[in-house]
Amino acid sequence: MDTATTTATATPKDYSSPLKPIWCPGCGDYGVLQALYRALAAIGRPPHEIAFISGIGCSSRIPGYTTAYGFNSVHGRALPIAQGVKLANPDLQVIVAGGDGDGFSIGGGHVAHAVRRNLDLTYLVMDNQVYGLTKGQLSPTSPKGLATVTSPLGSLEEPINPLLYTLAYGAGFVAQGTPADLPGLTALIEQAIRYPGFAFVNIQSPCVTFGQEEQQMRAHKAHMRPLASLGHDPSDQLRALDLARSYGKELHTGVLYRNPNPPPTYDALVRERQRALAPEAKDRARLLDVFLQK
Amino acid sequence: MNGLPCSPGVDFKKVSLMQALDLAVTIEEEARDRYLELADALSIAHTPEASEFFRKMARMEEKHRVALLTKRRASFGDRPSTVGRLQIFDVEAPDYDTVRAFMTVRQALDVALQSERKAHAFFKAALAETSDPEARFLFAELVAEESDHEAYVQAEIARQATDPWGDPPGDPAAYSDEPVPQ
Repeated sequence: MDTATTTATATPKDYSSPLKPIWCPGCGDYGVLQALYRALAAIGRPPHEIAFISGIGCSSRIPGYTTAYGFNSVHGRALPIAQGVKLANPDLQVIVAGGDGDGFSIGGGHVAHAVRRNLDLTYLVMDNQVYGLTKGQLSPTSPKGLATVTSPLGSLEEPINPLLYTLAYGAGFVAQGTPADLPGLTALIEQAIRYPGFAFVNIQSPCVTFGQEEQQMRAHKAHMRPLASLGHDPSDQLRALDLARSYGKELHTGVLYRNPNPPPTYDALVRERQRALAPEAKDRARLLDVFLQK
Repeated sequence: MNGLPCSPGVDFKKVSLMQALDLAVTIEEEARDRYLELADALSIAHTPEASEFFRKMARMEEKHRVALLTKRRASFGDRPSTVGRLQIFDVEAPDYDTVRAFMTVRQALDVALQSERKAHAFFKAALAETSDPEARFLFAELVAEESDHEAYVQAEIARQATDPWGDPPGDPAAYSDEPVPQ
């Protein structure tokens, strides 16, 4: 994705801000951040062409740890703000980061609309199945039966399934990764950013302080099942839906679904509509034409 | 074989001395940066002793990196590196999940020991894959050096067992090798 201001040799450090993360030592988010830096370096767009939008939570601190533009917004509202940013400046590479609580509880209503609207956004959810920042309450993806400070006798609810949720609404790119597989996660994030449309990556990022033993990286390393090793074809939407049903029981990593024929994005349709309604309007690149004599 | 799992894209069957040096320099750089990252995280989490130990390990990795870079420059000047950070994943760098708030220096030593063993295993596997004689010689040296680093950490673990408050035995930098012209 070369641009006029692309540096020929981008390195992960180009995207790392001097601000030190304050996550708990051992947190999965450190690996996610490292994978993100590397994915951005692989793509090579300079930091000023990228915007990170987040809500509230441990993982929502990510914008501060990058050299790109960043907006650490309000709880659950990262997606609407990101859509506004993308519509206002379609040239920006907009990446949305947040946790499972931010994305699928208070912000859950926004996900469906972001998916169906299909702006060219990348949505990275660091799913740790618990509210870590506020000291370990039940989250929308907590497994049924989990005992927490807000469910001392165990949760009575089934968890939300982020993979099934986004697939069911028609997301064109749905993947799952873990920082226990850093090369794999880097590749997934890179593919998600490159996908032309709404791309969702559910990242199983363990909470070392309040998470369960079976959700830690050691368990991920032992039990993860790369989809490539199962011979999964990412263009097979029905199979992707079937695989997504095993969320919470099996840790499938890789691209579940990638639409082989991505439809036009909402931002592209808006620009097309604008051109149709005002044919005399100039493209952004031709704005200077009004000052030049032809 | 097109790359070991933690170094995707590096074809060891075709690796030259310059590529082998670039690979080794990048591995030491990644390890140095990771130790510093972990040291910062532990420092913020009020775990100063383990943090300081990781800073010491970062200095050791840096010294080793500089030694390898000097060797590389002596033979190949300032030609651009053939290996980038996108090709190296946790070869010698400790995994992020190996640290915890309030971990002891003894636990930090175990983390460092595992990392040195990882690096040793990596270079040993690379040596088995490589056919270029000069690159093989370098990988054999690196296998031996990683064994030295392992010995340093083990010596420190042994010292900890008898005198947890004393100074470490000698300067860790002494276990790094001086630059040697090719």
